Amino acid sequence: MNGTPWWRDRRVLPWLLQAVVGLAVLVLVALLMTNLVRNLSAAGLLLSWRWLGQPAGFDLSETLLPFNASMPYGRALLAGLLNTLRVIVIALLGSSLLGALVGMAAFSRNGLLRGLARVYVEVVRNVPLLLQLLFWYFLVFLALPDGRAALQLPGLVLAKSGLYLAGFAGGSWQGPQLLNGSWQAPLQLSVEFGALLTGLITYIGAFIAEVVRGGIASVPRGQWEAAGSLGLHGVATLRHIVLPQALRVIVPGLTNQYISLAKASSLALACGFTDLYSVAETTLNQTGRAVEVVLVLLAAYLAIDLLISAAMNGLNRLVQVRER
Amino acid sequence: MGTPSFPAKRLPVAALLPLKRLRAQLAPTVADGLLSLGLLALIAWAAVQLGGWAIGRADWAVLQLNSMLLLVGRYPLAEQWRLWLLGALLAAQAGLSWGLLRAWPRADRREQGQLWPRHDRIAAVLITLLALLLPAALGLAGALQGRWWLLAAVLLALRWAAGRWGPGLHRRTLKLLGLLWPLLYLLGFWLIGGGLGLAAVAPGEWGGLLLTLVMASFAMALSFPLGVLLALGRRSNLPLLRWGSVAYIEFIRGAPLITLLFIGQNILGFLLPASISPDRVWRAAWVLTLFAAAYLAEAVRSGLAAVPRGQLEAARSLGLNQAQALVTVVIPQALRVALPTMVGQFIALVQDTTLLSLIGLLDLLGMARGIMANPEFLGHSSELYLVLAVLYWSCCAALGLGSRALERRLDPRSLAGRP
Amino acid sequence: MIRAEGVEKWYPNGFHALRGASLTVNRGEVVVIMGPSGSGKSTFIRTFNALEDFQKGSITVDGLALSNDVRQIDAIRREVGMVFQQFNLFPHLSVLENLTLAPVLVRKRPRAEVELQAMALLERVGIAEQAEKFPGQLSGGQQQRVAIARALCMEPRILLFDEPTSSLDPEMVREVLDVIQALAAEAITMVVVTHEVRFARQVAHRVVLMDEGVVVEQADPESFFTAPRHERTQRFLEQIL
Repeated sequence: MNGTPWWRDRRVLPWLLQAVVGLAVLVLVALLMTNLVRNLSAAGLLLSWRWLGQPAGFDLSETLLPFNASMPYGRALLAGLLNTLRVIVIALLGSSLLGALVGMAAFSRNGLLRGLARVYVEVVRNVPLLLQLLFWYFLVFLALPDGRAALQLPGLVLAKSGLYLAGFAGGSWQGPQLLNGSWQAPLQLSVEFGALLTGLITYIGAFIAEVVRGGIASVPRGQWEAAGSLGLHGVATLRHIVLPQALRVIVPGLTNQYISLAKASSLALACGFTDLYSVAETTLNQTGRAVEVVLVLLAAYLAIDLLISAAMNGLNRLVQVRER
Repeated sequence: MGTPSFPAKRLPVAALLPLKRLRAQLAPTVADGLLSLGLLALIAWAAVQLGGWAIGRADWAVLQLNSMLLLVGRYPLAEQWRLWLLGALLAAQAGLSWGLLRAWPRADRREQGQLWPRHDRIAAVLITLLALLLPAALGLAGALQGRWWLLAAVLLALRWAAGRWGPGLHRRTLKLLGLLWPLLYLLGFWLIGGGLGLAAVAPGEWGGLLLTLVMASFAMALSFPLGVLLALGRRSNLPLLRWGSVAYIEFIRGAPLITLLFIGQNILGFLLPASISPDRVWRAAWVLTLFAAAYLAEAVRSGLAAVPRGQLEAARSLGLNQAQALVTVVIPQALRVALPTMVGQFIALVQDTTLLSLIGLLDLLGMARGIMANPEFLGHSSELYLVLAVLYWSCCAALGLGSRALERRLDPRSLAGRP
Repeated sequence: MIRAEGVEKWYPNGFHALRGASLTVNRGEVVVIMGPSGSGKSTFIRTFNALEDFQKGSITVDGLALSNDVRQIDAIRREVGMVFQQFNLFPHLSVLENLTLAPVLVRKRPRAEVELQAMALLERVGIAEQAEKFPGQLSGGQQQRVAIARALCMEPRILLFDEPTSSLDPEMVREVLDVIQALAAEAITMVVVTHEVRFARQVAHRVVLMDEGVVVEQADPESFFTAPRHERTQRFLEQIL
């Protein structure tokens, strides 16, 4: 056992390899950091967070958090973050619903419905999301008529000036109304928000439909037959027998789709919607604080991802336990 | 209603007569029949609307006037022959590979080898039609039209020649032909970028489809080895390599691509000394590469996990060292398993190149948006969007189809059940 | 040929798999190792070509001491062939490529020469006509015979068999054992872990019983099966006979 030179000893080699790689990475990082510090100090931009308290000087069009140009950058970023969260939550619910419906349509007895579901998924998944967002914003929502000509559905009016939804106002249920040539309603959304939501929901919905379809297909055929032999009909079988089993395949897939939805929401600026990313970009252009802005962005999206993962892991445990 | 049923239950339908079959498909119940009618009406209405627009109101002049801009951006006119040459070389190589693929079916199923299977005949007709009709529809000048015809002719001629004489080639010659692809790849970058005797064309002048393809292929080619290394690192028992890979992969996958591109444009300049800091196009290309590598690594990792431990042990017990065992035994099998996921990532990458337009690069989408902003073409964005959607869709769908064909060809286990 | 003395192995989870196992195998000898499952017999032969490491004791293979020297380990693995319970053929390579991979890559021999030898070996194990097929297209028995030919193609001085017939359908066991038996007649040194009593009786020069990580008893087949000395051997034989 003795007399083995150290460079051929299999106990030493792994550590040698790690040391070399570690050292290389360390040197690289050190080089980059020195450059960063040197370049930043030359530009007078060394890491500092004081600018967060300075007045932003730009306005945000549509925020949950009251905001105007005299308020600080920090609040602008926070308002952007809240907008991002709002988009994610609504799109998450919408795309889940759409995805579930389309995913189940793939098992319909109606050939036409099955075909349409397939076409929808294949078209949407193979066209870039950005292109779809631009399409919804410029070609659909901005092309809507306004005033009396606006598209009127029960409880919902789609107009170039915005989306108007029925809701409770002053204790009573109210629909959209035309007052002096402009629409009024308890719930109003901008066309930017509407276009972004529509684009995200149809895009992620297609991916979720595939997840749902795969999940249902993973349930062995014997389960359908067993349920059929007990006298259950199609919908009841799906609801009571198949879905509970399919969920344990579906939920992990959903987690991935929800996280990619959160990341995709950063394309909001294509529709002119002010989310976290677009506020961050404006902030950078005004302050030049690239490093700090990037840190804020990365931290925010990482936090959202972790939040979604944690919530979905909880759901996953629930689904997996119930199976036993 | 669209009552759910397990797909296999529908099988007997195929045996019915056409009319009954239609009925079983569209109206198994009264409710289904009504639903089908409603859907049919909807589809008919959409088709009439779209058809009416495409023939009546759409003005395709916006495409005819800007076709070169969309294809190659502001690439200098005097140097465009290089792109045509590259196109011809690519067509030649594609035809050659295609023909050889048919001439050399896998050894174990030579009896099924057919020189012109049905799919190939359809593809050949489609290529011919595209070459004949597309330039004419775009109203291209005679010289340009001729070049398109030449490209198609080169492709089909080599497809035919390779299929005809391929079987006579020596196995070693075939191996050398495989090397042509990477060679052509390097040659392509030289032809596009210039240098070494050719006039240099700065990346800022590449645009349109050319830029999109250059970016996507650059990122694909480089992210592949990087992704494999990261996947190996993530599955290594060496803690430093494992945790390093995990940290990198999770960091990249946690951030939206647009923020990473943002870092590339705004922070990379601070990280590197000014002398070696790449220009905006190359910065974006590297960000795309590093981004794609993390996703690819996850695909490869799942492939590696699917290779049984015994494979590595068997290779090692035959005397192969770790690197030889990985390269010849483990990685080929892992890649085969990971292929569908990897192609999915490549498709996503092609789509992700559109984000370049958000950071001010003139890729296909960026160029199109530039044209739409031109007052001269105001109100004609629908036509451009439609063409772009069709283009991206075809690229992505073709990748998907290709991957499925490759999967079938590569999977030896799919042969196990054959009589 | 192989000399293992007081080999002890702990798995990372603390399991004490080998507790001082010792065994000597002479040149040209066929040794069969038997024992209940979990007795450490597979782990033991896997230490012979360093697929498993060990913490105490010593192993010498063909005059080379197993150490942590990677060059030495590679040298030993070149001379020791192994046949696995799960065949472990490379599914992405044809049968012929399975055989030629290692000789070309490791021994740097010219491919044409190796292919000739590989075809001869396939002939010997009776599946030359399957050379162009892929492992997935073969039956279990055929796969295991390819695996044996693959090990032989490296021209090893020692062959290790780790339960070569345990995952085969019963009707295929015979064809594989026949091949191994034919090899034994050619005086190749072999260590075989198996549960096949008939095979052990006919082929082995010596039968070894392992239990709880140690070698309990070793004897020629006749006295091993008819007059076991050790009480644990008797109990084991009662269970399997």
